[in-house]
Amino acid sequence: MTQVARPKPRRLDAFTLPSEPGNERLALSRVAESLADVGLAPPRLERLKTAVAEATMNAIEHGNGNRAEIPVEVEVTQSGDDITVAISDQGGKEHTDTGAGEEPDLLKKLDGAQSPRGWGLFLIRNMVDAMDVTTDGQRHTIWLIMHTGGAAHDEHV
Amino acid sequence: MTSMCEATTRVVPGAAIIELSGEVDGSAAAVLTDAYQRAVTGDSDALGTVVLGFAAVDYINSTGIALIVSVLARARAERRKVVACGLSPHYREIFDITRLSDFIELFPDLDHAVSQLTGPAA
Repeated sequence: MTQVARPKPRRLDAFTLPSEPGNERLALSRVAESLADVGLAPPRLERLKTAVAEATMNAIEHGNGNRAEIPVEVEVTQSGDDITVAISDQGGKEHTDTGAGEEPDLLKKLDGAQSPRGWGLFLIRNMVDAMDVTTDGQRHTIWLIMHTGGAAHDEHV
Repeated sequence: MTSMCEATTRVVPGAAIIELSGEVDGSAAAVLTDAYQRAVTGDSDALGTVVLGFAAVDYINSTGIALIVSVLARARAERRKVVACGLSPHYREIFDITRLSDFIELFPDLDHAVSQLTGPAA
């Protein structure tokens, strides 16, 4: 059997942020800086920035409970055509935004049958090429994956 | 939380215009609610249209989307139409994904929105 060599992930950046509302803007700016030279088309970079901001907001609020002393950890890696942004908090299995809730439905929201809120995970899912969520003890991580290559990806969404 | 969002309001025949700038996030709740109230109070046409201008907005997050949903819900309850203008291609896409654009007509800029609403003679 022929083995296909997979490139080792290259770390582009890794940083932490205090869990304070508004710090998602810092995350998206820094992630965008780290991706300046990877060839991600501008519209796709905008989508990834939105996903990073939403995932960081969730980590700050639902994972770390807005407790500034508990950091949100962000790591950006590249492996071949894949950009992965991993955003971790300490919410564990008690994470209060698991995505298990009802899918947002605008008409229900307008009629008062659903809260106007609840768009975060919906936006994340629709902004990136793939996402995953893992829990290891208290460490809860959302993985956002975006492919750099191919115009076909620009037709996504 | 200090809001990074500002709003100016004015009225043209048949429409109340709310021009937003900065960041539409959770901190913008009071700014947007107050602006809506100011705008529709000055609108003599009870069945008028509310124009949301986003040309100077550089960030909208999911909480901001929720605020826009709340404005739309209130406007519908008051039988007002809501249109939006000045959205970047990215946020236009988000209005499509969330289906906000099914309920809020989108215009490229304020001039197009106002001329459409007030007619060619305006």
